Amino acid sequence: MRHTRLLPRPLQLAVLAVLLLLVLGPVSYMLFASVSSDLAVASGAYLPTSVDLGAYRRIWSTVDLGTGLLNSVLVAGVVATASAFVSVGSAYVLVRFAFRGRVAILRALLALQSVPGTLLLLPVFVLFASASTAIGVQVIGTRWALALTYLTFALPFSTWVMVTYLRGLPPELDEAARIDGASSWRILTRIIVPLSWPGLIVSGIFAFLLGWNDVLFASVMTDPDTRTAAVALQVFGATQEGGAIPVYGQMMAAALVCAAPVVVLYLVFQRYLVGGLTAGGVK
Amino acid sequence: MSRARRVAERQRPLWMLAPGGLLLVLVVGFPLVVAGQISLLDLDQYTFRQWLDAPFVGLDNYVEAVRDSSLPHAVWVSTTYAVVVTLITLPVGVAAALAAHDRFTGRGLVRSVLLIPYVLPAFVVGTVWRIILQPDGVADNALGRAGLDAGLWLNGPRSFWALVIVQAWTAWPLLYLLALAGLQTVDPEVHEAAALDGAGWWVKLRRLIFPYLRGPIALGLVITFLHSVNNFTLPFVLFGVPSPRDVEVLPVLTYVESFQNFRFGLSAAMAVFSLGVVAVPLLAYLRAVRLT
Repeated sequence: MRHTRLLPRPLQLAVLAVLLLLVLGPVSYMLFASVSSDLAVASGAYLPTSVDLGAYRRIWSTVDLGTGLLNSVLVAGVVATASAFVSVGSAYVLVRFAFRGRVAILRALLALQSVPGTLLLLPVFVLFASASTAIGVQVIGTRWALALTYLTFALPFSTWVMVTYLRGLPPELDEAARIDGASSWRILTRIIVPLSWPGLIVSGIFAFLLGWNDVLFASVMTDPDTRTAAVALQVFGATQEGGAIPVYGQMMAAALVCAAPVVVLYLVFQRYLVGGLTAGGVK
Repeated sequence: MSRARRVAERQRPLWMLAPGGLLLVLVVGFPLVVAGQISLLDLDQYTFRQWLDAPFVGLDNYVEAVRDSSLPHAVWVSTTYAVVVTLITLPVGVAAALAAHDRFTGRGLVRSVLLIPYVLPAFVVGTVWRIILQPDGVADNALGRAGLDAGLWLNGPRSFWALVIVQAWTAWPLLYLLALAGLQTVDPEVHEAAALDGAGWWVKLRRLIFPYLRGPIALGLVITFLHSVNNFTLPFVLFGVPSPRDVEVLPVLTYVESFQNFRFGLSAAMAVFSLGVVAVPLLAYLRAVRLT
């Protein structure tokens, strides 16, 4: 591929310059506005006139971001671990063995990722509300109920990511073990799982991000104590309306704090994650 | 049939599907059936705690959704916005992939930066753009300096375009990623042949390179459409509820109908309709993806 270019150099540079401007403009503004005075943001200034890091101190009490982040980590962490480990067994069978209904299951796994979230949230909410009435225990508003609802999207997605990963593993390894008389369970735990840890990490991270990024389910299924960071920020933003000058600096600072772990995760695991992004097609 | 194959046939560990399968039936299959049933009930804030006792009303919710609700309007807003976003992301994503493909200093860093809009959580994107687009905010300020008319973005007819712009801003890197993956599959000989041929860059792109991108781009377009139609978080955070009528998209309408107006039956009927909106692109998607 030496000396072959797709675009003439000046055009290539121009395209990259425009794209970087479009991406970095809003992203840098996030940073600038978080250290600006609220008055400066309200008047539309791009650069801060003075740097004030106070917003990063105040968000822990005003947004209650600490509780939110803790809830997000707990719920998303449980979902990630559960769906990564449950999915590896199903994915192994789906990739290595032919059986009736296999293609239908693969189709369903993909289709489920495009089902509108409201179509699942509604019955889950009604079922949980009815369950509370029936057994007399509060279900809605608990962290484990929220984690259970996230499995509706995380599980099909993790399974699909594991399916695409296991396809890339040479079948000779587990076939050899099988001829040697190893049981399926042994093959799964001793050969497939150790070999597929990058796939497990990817499907775990995606499941984690599904929980971390969600507002739809969490806005209905949490109360102030169990609120995730996403809902804490959304509620904080909504209550800023109609008052004096909203506290823009704190909103931007809180948004940055919520975004940072996600961006860092992507940058660290970029090599593995990009494949998953295009394979499953769900954020 | 080889011996290994026969052994494998005999020992298919189908039971390994059970944990995932049972969990899926429990958390997805069962709720989907219940959603269908709720859409046939007059379920509201008085009855939802004992949903089995709610009165059965047949298809009344569907009739009401079509005739006396904002559903047709929401279907129109959702599909037009998603189509416009998809059309915008196509040239941007392809141009980005072409520009990021050829080698240059700092390519790795630039490729990472280009992914940022896509990996930012939607609630963060919504919060940030809500501040950028506020009246007299930084966007209006920049437009004013360029001599363009500044105005309201989060309300009124322009809110539709605000939604389109922000969703396109966060969605295009998917097309970029898929097109970039497609460019990796181009045969090196194709490049050499074109170099010898002396054809101009545009002719070369159109005749030799674009055919390789057709598959990944088609996939990217369908996924972008589906993401945009199903995106609840961005319009919800960007505009809040009640949302301006010009951006009253399907997920937000369904959400408001159930969790603010407590008309669960009507809302379930709406959710079933939104399944209809994604059905056609979804089938196209399932055909385009390699399943086995």
